[in-house]
Amino acid sequence: MHPWLRILVGLACAAVTAQPALAASAKPSAWRYDRTYAASWDEFQAMRKAAHGGTRLTWRTLPDWTGLWEHTGGFHFDPQQKGPKATAALTPAYQQMYDRKLADIAKGIQWDPLSACLPAGYPRWLLEPFLREFILRPEESWLLTEQNAEIRRIYTDNRGHVPADEAYPLWEGDSVGFWDGDTLVIHTNNLKAGQYQRDQPDFSDQATTVERMRKTGPDTIEDIVDVYDPVSLTRPWHVRQVYRRVKTPGLRINHWSCEENNNTVRTDNGSTAIVLPGEKGYRDPSNLGAASANAPGAN
Amino acid sequence: MSKALTAALLLAAAAATPALAHHSFAMFDMSKQVSISGTVKDFQYTNPHSWVIVLATAPDGKQTEWGFESEGPSTLLRAGIKHSSISPGDKVTALAFPMRDGRPAGSLISVTKADGEVLTFRVSRPAPSPDAAK
Repeated sequence: MHPWLRILVGLACAAVTAQPALAASAKPSAWRYDRTYAASWDEFQAMRKAAHGGTRLTWRTLPDWTGLWEHTGGFHFDPQQKGPKATAALTPAYQQMYDRKLADIAKGIQWDPLSACLPAGYPRWLLEPFLREFILRPEESWLLTEQNAEIRRIYTDNRGHVPADEAYPLWEGDSVGFWDGDTLVIHTNNLKAGQYQRDQPDFSDQATTVERMRKTGPDTIEDIVDVYDPVSLTRPWHVRQVYRRVKTPGLRINHWSCEENNNTVRTDNGSTAIVLPGEKGYRDPSNLGAASANAPGAN
Repeated sequence: MSKALTAALLLAAAAATPALAHHSFAMFDMSKQVSISGTVKDFQYTNPHSWVIVLATAPDGKQTEWGFESEGPSTLLRAGIKHSSISPGDKVTALAFPMRDGRPAGSLISVTKADGEVLTFRVSRPAPSPDAAK
């Protein structure tokens, strides 16, 4: 090899190894939740600035979040909620809606779109039970829940959000992010309006969030979330979710089809009922794949 | 397993918070329990809920088909309940929270098999993590 070519190759190799790739154990910037922001994007950008633009992780330096996980702390969006009411600072209109909802629940009137097999959607996604997997790649991460096979895609390849003229409300929203050491920082917008949980308030399609997600121990992952929603909240809702490793040997996530045995229906008064075997409208799970079930040799 | 231990486990299971996913539990009367003995017609090991269908015969010979709802497969697997744990034809006694409207169904607490094995279906949500209060 020509000496100059050898030098050029050597410089190129040095440049590659000199990329700001931190070790998996790298500590994130010392981010403090000590001030408020007008919008979630402002907070997200402040986090990016504190992280000096973010950490360029590689396959070798990505943190290890492998395994199965589950949410802990119950069904309140703020696990610190002590009383019967959510800790969100709601606007008068959303407070009124929430009060009405709680009054209906007290009367036994309760309906959940999930019962019609619609997705939970984000940010309710954060609280749902059952199994989870967090699949990390340098340029994109997939946050999966077993229930309804809901997947959040977090792009960490420096792309921006979907342009405003192409955006439309999405169940999991549109999420972009960056790594701050071993912390995945996520900004999400383009959400569908929904509820945080069955006995929690509603949010509008103007809701956006900033998350800081990291592994805090061998068996624990935390997600600190700020929800901004000028329609439903008078100030951001700051909560911390914790996920715990599931250690059941041999357990796997399989496809979770809500339709395979769902006989839940909405009643005339807006509550929930179940159609039983033999009743009109019952959908027998053994007949849902009728075409193949009738095939010779089918079980 | 001793009867006392079995009873204690069932009480703990019954008191556990149900995994609220998918639908409201408002239709079940959580203050009451029913115990139904009969023959398993079907064990639907499915999402979003599994169902144990039991044919129960009254002293007058009248047969009633009871439906008992429980969690989906992955949650049951974690409780040690496999698809093979119950088979059609098994003689069982099902303990459940009944429907408020009196129809023959309920939210399943446990199934006791003819050989005395007790399958506890009432699966609680995980308690808050030790550091959840941070």
